[in-house]
Amino acid sequence: MLKPVLWIHGEALGPGNPALLAHPGAQAVFVFDRELIAQSGLSLKRLGFLYECLLELPVTLRQGDVAEEVLAFARRHGADGVVTSAAVDPRFAVLRDQIATQLPVEVLEPEPFVELPEPVDLRRFSRYWRRAEPVLWARRSAGAPPARARRSDR
Amino acid sequence: MRQLFPEAAGGLSTIQGGRRAAAAALAAIDPAAYGRSRNHLDGAVTRLSPWIRHGVLSLVEVREGVFAWLERSGQPAQAAAKLINELGWRDYWQRLWRQLGAGIWLDREPLKTGHLPEDYAAELPADLVGGCTGLACMDGFVRQLGETGWLHNHARMWLASYVVHWRRVRWQAGARWFLQHLLDGDPASNNLSWQWVASSFSSKPYLFNRDNLERFSSGRYCRVCAAATNGTCPFDASYEQLQAQLLGGPSC
Repeated sequence: MLKPVLWIHGEALGPGNPALLAHPGAQAVFVFDRELIAQSGLSLKRLGFLYECLLELPVTLRQGDVAEEVLAFARRHGADGVVTSAAVDPRFAVLRDQIATQLPVEVLEPEPFVELPEPVDLRRFSRYWRRAEPVLWARRSAGAPPARARRSDR
Repeated sequence: MRQLFPEAAGGLSTIQGGRRAAAAALAAIDPAAYGRSRNHLDGAVTRLSPWIRHGVLSLVEVREGVFAWLERSGQPAQAAAKLINELGWRDYWQRLWRQLGAGIWLDREPLKTGHLPEDYAAELPADLVGGCTGLACMDGFVRQLGETGWLHNHARMWLASYVVHWRRVRWQAGARWFLQHLLDGDPASNNLSWQWVASSFSSKPYLFNRDNLERFSSGRYCRVCAAATNGTCPFDASYEQLQAQLLGGPSC
C-alpha cells in the first residue's frame, strides 16, 4: 500500500497501536459503532471514557456503520488500502471482512504479552500459567521468581 | 457527549480516559503493596484496567513498568509476582476469547450448583438494578457501578455471587449489565469471571458470607445496614449453612 488510511478501534487507543507506529502522519479514523452501542446498551460513562482516550490521539472521529464510514474516509483521502491493528473481539473480523470487499486491509499484530508456541492449553488458568510464568520472568534480566507454592486458579 | 449519544444512559465517570491519566496511574503502582492488600476494598489496587482494556496501555507496557519498579525499589522479584500473575489473567482471558468467539456467552461447563439452567431468571430484578435491595453492601456496589463505572474485583465477585446464587439470575444477565457500565468492560474477562462465580467455568460455585465481606470492607457497609443488625442479613451464616440453603441436588 502506498497511501493507506488507518482504522483505529477500541482495543488499541494508545500510542503503541502498531498501525500508528508503522504509518506516522497517515490519516486515521475511529468510528463509534452505532449498532454495537445500541445492542449493548452502553452507558454514557463508557462512551465518554473512549472519547477522552481518542482526544489524545491523531484521529478523526465518526459514528455510524463502521465499515461504511471507514471506506468513505478512505475514499475521501484517496487511499489505496486500510491498515489496522489486530483485535480479539470477533466483531472486528466481521468488520474487517466487510471493508476488505472494497479495499485491501492490512492487520498489524501488537507485541504479545508473552510468546508461547501453540497450542496453548487454556482449559484452566493454571495450565496456561505453568507455561507462561517462566517465559515472562525470563524476559527480566534479573531473573525469575517463583518457587513458593501459590494458588493459581481463582 | 449527550448530544452525540442521546440514547446512552447516565452521566460521565470521574475516571479520566486518555494516555496522560493512564501514564500517571502506571507510574503510581506499588506491586508489593498490591500483593499484600489487593483483596481489601482499600487495598493498593492499580485501577489500570480501563486503560488496559482499551489498549491505552498495553500489557507489555505494564509488564515492563512492573519490572522497572523492581529495579528501582530493589525488592525481590517475588514482591511483584502477584501483579504479574494478575496481568497473566488478562492475557489468559483474551486468549480464550480468541478461541471461543461468541461462545463466551454460553456455559463452558455444566453448573455445579444442583440447579438447572432454566431455574435461573433471565432478567435482573428491578430492586437490584435500582440499588434498593435494602442491603447496604449490594446497594452500595450498584451505586458505585452506575456512578463511576469501576468496582473493586472483590466487590464484583460479591455482587455477581449475590445475583447468581442468592437471586438466582442467569449469569448472562449480570454480565451484560456489567458491560454496560464498567469502563474496563471486556466480554472476555467479564463473562468468564461471571462463569467462574456461577460455576460453569470452575469446579464449584463462588459463595461468600458476611464475615468475609465485613472483613475485606472494614465493616463500612455492615455498620450502616439495617439487615446487619436486625437479623435479616442473607449473608450472615457459615459456608456450610449457605451451601445447604443456596445449592441443591446431589450434584453438589
